[in-house]
Amino acid sequence: MFKRILVPTDGSAPSRRAIRRAVQFAREQKARVIGFYVGPPWQLPIYSEYVPPELLSPKEHNAAVKKTAARYLGAVKKAARAAGVPCSVRYVLGAHPFDEIVKEARRRGCDLIAIASHGRRGISRLLLGSETSKVLSHSGIPVLVCR
Amino acid sequence: MGGKMFRNILVPTDGSALSRRAVRHAVQLAKEQKARVTGLWVGPAWEPNLYAYGDSVPPGFVSKKQHAARVRRAGARVLRTVKAAAAAARVPCECICVEGAFPYIEIVKAARRKRCDLIVMASHSRRGISRLLLGSQASKVLALATVPVLVCR
Repeated sequence: MFKRILVPTDGSAPSRRAIRRAVQFAREQKARVIGFYVGPPWQLPIYSEYVPPELLSPKEHNAAVKKTAARYLGAVKKAARAAGVPCSVRYVLGAHPFDEIVKEARRRGCDLIAIASHGRRGISRLLLGSETSKVLSHSGIPVLVCR
Repeated sequence: MGGKMFRNILVPTDGSALSRRAVRHAVQLAKEQKARVTGLWVGPAWEPNLYAYGDSVPPGFVSKKQHAARVRRAGARVLRTVKAAAAAARVPCECICVEGAFPYIEIVKAARRKRCDLIVMASHSRRGISRLLLGSQASKVLALATVPVLVCR
């Protein structure tokens, strides 16, 4: 029924749990998993006259995001390898993760998005994460929301 | 492949076109996962008629019993499609029909009672006005459910 499952992650604990579920589900469905991470884009400092010493250049910023992405997506790769599920990973820079997630799902021809009910910013069990709820309302394909 | 992950799939339906699609999804998934399907229909709760006091019983008054019978009848009609879809796919199926003013509460309760490990539902059905909005019941189920929810578009 599902052949390509997009698994967006932000590296948080709920999202790591969602990865485990998604990979197990992919194994049962004989599907492939596509790990996906959206990093923040580089931004000009707001106080332009004062340059904080820790300001990263765009290049340094991209390198930092790349490193973070490698760590977060490494978890997806590892879980997939352990379960014997074919897996590929990709990361992009974008200010609106939900937009990138929905676009990526369309671009890669995914038929399911498996996502945690909340990630870093979901403050409580009772709230759905902001990106998750936006993915739910913008996605054209089924979404598996993992608790 | 042994369906270890999902054994009992709850599929709440209100009989609308989108929710019928969710039923098809659920049955297909249950077939692949060798799981069972639990169909659920939530009818409106009986509301005592506030104006029916004393000896005056207004015309059109529905007693609790009559209401329950109507809900059962309406539920059976909607759930027949679930049963038919499950039978066609040779998936074990159980259908329940309950009364409740707040469908999402009944959905979450039924998931717990029947030990369902997945809820499959449409993103919106009768009251969802647009593609861009998540249905009211779907978003409340998402907030309250302790099991994964597959939201079909």
